[in-house]
Amino acid sequence: METKQFVIIGVAIALVIAVAAPFLASGNPDGLESAFFSMYGAKPFMGSELDEDAAGAAEEQVVATTGNDFSYEALMPDYSIPGMDKGGEVLAIVFGTLTILVLGIVVAKISARPDS
Amino acid sequence: MGQALVYWVIALIFIALALRWARRSMGEEKIPLVAVLAAGIFAIQALNIPIPWGTSGHMVGAALAAIVLGSPYAGVFVLTLVLLVQGVIFGDGGITVMGANIINMGVIGGFVGYYGYTAIRSVIGNTYAAAFIAGWASLFVAAILCAVELAIAGTFPLVPALIGLGLYHAIIGLIEGGITAVALYLIASARPDILEHPTGVSA
Repeated sequence: METKQFVIIGVAIALVIAVAAPFLASGNPDGLESAFFSMYGAKPFMGSELDEDAAGAAEEQVVATTGNDFSYEALMPDYSIPGMDKGGEVLAIVFGTLTILVLGIVVAKISARPDS
Repeated sequence: MGQALVYWVIALIFIALALRWARRSMGEEKIPLVAVLAAGIFAIQALNIPIPWGTSGHMVGAALAAIVLGSPYAGVFVLTLVLLVQGVIFGDGGITVMGANIINMGVIGGFVGYYGYTAIRSVIGNTYAAAFIAGWASLFVAAILCAVELAIAGTFPLVPALIGLGLYHAIIGLIEGGITAVALYLIASARPDILEHPTGVSA
């Protein structure tokens, strides 16, 4: 397979995943969040009922423990575009995928071993 | 906050080593592969797959990058790019803890993934089974280290953290292992020449 074809197919697969992700992705907390919530009594370890109030209190407690209250407003918080719903999530993840592709080419080009 | 700084310093050392690896060993013909891998890993990280117990998990991808590009530093290289964009543009993962994330996912993922893969393959002789097991182990070990870091930070009690993160990620590791093996198969089928260690030939 030609390199050009390989890149086109690879990028196409990445974009299909990016477009599908907002519709297919599970909204459940991930492994780290889930372990965190169950340790702070906001969610049973093997259950799915999340107590929102307890979860919020747990997050505040952790900020107090670590003293790390740094926060800033990201451009597209949580893979969404403020004011848009699913379409915004699709756009956000597609934008991120293409940004990484371009960043990857630029950084790899700068840091690669010169051929000559 | 002091700990976050320590993790950042360690992460920066590994980023420097990854850049040295690239300068010495990453030929220009690898540029498209690096970029496509990084883009694909970013996309698939956004796809949380449900596991039992009201929980979900997603791919990390450092093991795949390390195996395909033939160096644990490739895992560091690719994951640093992914984590940077996730943290800065999407507010995912964070800035202060990015150093720890680069260590857990890039460094541990890359090193456990790469050396796990080469060691297991030399013992059992099957490329894709080795990639699956190494992918699983890369995620599991990263989660265990994460539990220890959170216990040191005082946010998680150690033993429940080890059990909680360990159990969830023992299952999420199956996703990591499965996608690592399938992606390696697809890349090896499409372009056997660009793999650092062609799968048909033992290096």
